[in-house]
Amino acid sequence: MTRSNHNAKGMSRRALLKNAAIAALSTTCLTALAMPVMAADAKKVIIGAFADGGLTPFKEKIIPLAREAGFDITFLEDEYGVTLEKWFADATSGAGQYDLYLLDDPWVPQFGAADVLEDLAAGGIDARDSDWIGPLIDMGFWPPREGPRVKGFESADPKLVCVPFIGDLQTLTYRNDVYTDGAPKTWDELIAKGKEGVAAGKIKYAMAFRGVAGNSVVNSWYPVFLSFGGHVFDDKWNPTFNSAEGKAATEFFVTTMKQNGPKGVVEFDSDQEGAAILGGEAGAVIQYSGNALKADDPAQAKVAGKLDFGVVPKQVKAMAQMGIFIAGVPKSAPNKANSIEFLKWYTSKETQAKVAEAGMIPVKRSAFAVEKPGNRLIAVALQQLDAGAEPRPRTPDWAKVEELLGIEINKALLAGSGGGEAMDSAAAKVKDYLGQMGYYQ
Amino acid sequence: MQGAGLDLALPYLMLAPALLVVFAVLVYPLWEGLKASTKLYRYGRVIADVGFDNYVRLWSDPQFLNALSVTATFVTLAVALETVLGFALALFCAREFAGIRLLRTILIIPMVITPVVVAILFRLIYASDAGMFTAISLALGGGEVQILGDPVKAFIGLVALDVWEWTPLMFLIILAGLQSLPQEPFEAARVDGADAWRSFVDLTLPMMRPVLSIAVVLRTIDAFGTFDQVFVLTRGGPGESTKLLSIYGYDTAFKFQMTGYAAALFVTLGLIMLALALLAIRFIQKGTEE
Repeated sequence: MTRSNHNAKGMSRRALLKNAAIAALSTTCLTALAMPVMAADAKKVIIGAFADGGLTPFKEKIIPLAREAGFDITFLEDEYGVTLEKWFADATSGAGQYDLYLLDDPWVPQFGAADVLEDLAAGGIDARDSDWIGPLIDMGFWPPREGPRVKGFESADPKLVCVPFIGDLQTLTYRNDVYTDGAPKTWDELIAKGKEGVAAGKIKYAMAFRGVAGNSVVNSWYPVFLSFGGHVFDDKWNPTFNSAEGKAATEFFVTTMKQNGPKGVVEFDSDQEGAAILGGEAGAVIQYSGNALKADDPAQAKVAGKLDFGVVPKQVKAMAQMGIFIAGVPKSAPNKANSIEFLKWYTSKETQAKVAEAGMIPVKRSAFAVEKPGNRLIAVALQQLDAGAEPRPRTPDWAKVEELLGIEINKALLAGSGGGEAMDSAAAKVKDYLGQMGYYQ
Repeated sequence: MQGAGLDLALPYLMLAPALLVVFAVLVYPLWEGLKASTKLYRYGRVIADVGFDNYVRLWSDPQFLNALSVTATFVTLAVALETVLGFALALFCAREFAGIRLLRTILIIPMVITPVVVAILFRLIYASDAGMFTAISLALGGGEVQILGDPVKAFIGLVALDVWEWTPLMFLIILAGLQSLPQEPFEAARVDGADAWRSFVDLTLPMMRPVLSIAVVLRTIDAFGTFDQVFVLTRGGPGESTKLLSIYGYDTAFKFQMTGYAAALFVTLGLIMLALALLAIRFIQKGTEE
């Protein structure tokens, strides 16, 4: 009686420890029994990516699908600024830390020229599939199939070293209560209506953009430059961005756009640019999908419901910069076959439809026709692709060119004038640098 | 005989593991760096031996010359301010009074915070759209405060960050030096009627010379390598106004993948620092002999 009473009241410490040990052992055994089933069947793929809002749907919706399809995905994310050096060191040293890199597309020439990526066509990925969006699959080839080639690769056969992963490109995000007739068609309209919005107290400035020297300011300048009809190089790698069109675009960028942008735009980077549009201060921005995907989320956008997307404004044409996520498999990948199989699965028509439904910009044209795209930006992205979008020049030296160009644009932006002189100065520096690298021999 | 041989070899055997580690982590990378600085790299591979061409090219590279000038100005300003402030704080804190231990602890806090975190804090303070200075200015009826968007202010802002973070190190070293000074000369000076200023100029400063020199050398070497703060705060801009050699070297090596050229740049930087350190050591020795 006493005993049963004791048991009824509670457990002795010894019994508690014993039961806990049994429970722990059972859990371990069950986990151990379950794990080998996953490990034996699943195809391991270690994916390296840089942190970007554009990959959020991939992480949240596509990786679980990939697991269902039998892939054991390890997703390793890093800050953008350190991924290039990390992955390049991994690839050139043959360390084999990754199976797949999700590269920024201007890095393809660097990895391609170093010959550290697998030929994906040889692995069975069909680049001739007509469902690919032409300009996107073109970006996966090294040397490029079209356009000028750098010295040493003039007669090399183009190889498919990367496949497009997210068809990201710049589009316009604008306030629909400021631009009430829809997306502004021209730069002049964007500025004029933006000024009205400022006067009406709806916004603080017509548009926000990035002004920080280097990659940031060049990204913001690029669509303006393209829409004015500018070209970065001719087919002999001579800088042509200091043409009349290039100078006019840069003058517009450093004067009109600065005057109608935030006061401190020279120090603006993508985080401040995103905050300006999502926080309701800017009337419009030209941006990639990372921040645009947040536009409808009230938790991330103060003006959710007031933001719409459109094709970038035009001067002579409505051209945007393409900057896609593009996947490459290093030759040193420990699970090379799995990676290629994963890419085949990911770029299949069926998975691309899921990609569009998840809210990412697909890389196959058929996926744009899904009934319920996960984001209204997707349709606009296709409109922009059709209106015009260009990748950055396919040279392994783009980073240096961008740096030289970016410093001069940043200086002119700081001064609020001298766009033309900035282009001439940058052109001389770029020409000198490329000359040293043997481009004109 | 066998015992004598072992006795002779034993010190070297005992030193061998440490020497191996030093060789692996110091000598070998240094040697590889020196070798790399004489090569031309393209696309991650060596394509030619170029001897000292990379070193020669540096002196006609406007970006390198600018970075060298910015770095020299930054180091001079930051280290000078840190030394003066550190000395002043150390003099104040060398005395014993209520709460001094707490004060000394508080004063070294900036030094123990990770540099990247310090840079993020200062970016939040300086940002023209949502920074602390702008918030205060707007509350007082002013406008947005532009710091990182102006070359001169951004540079001063970077120096201010460094001074805030590293004055505590100077303070700590100098305080330790002050507390180890013999008291007799000061007592004798007091008896002779010397005031505080005279004692400071004629006794404290000369006796602190070796400590100050070591502190300045250590801090100078460290300041030449400043990277994290600039990387987070300005990335070298606006223009190239805050582009230190460390940032230019990093970009050259990793972004532009000019490994050999970057190696030459860092070897040159190392030689400059070595020359400065040798000068300082001579200065210390001279001071000690006097």
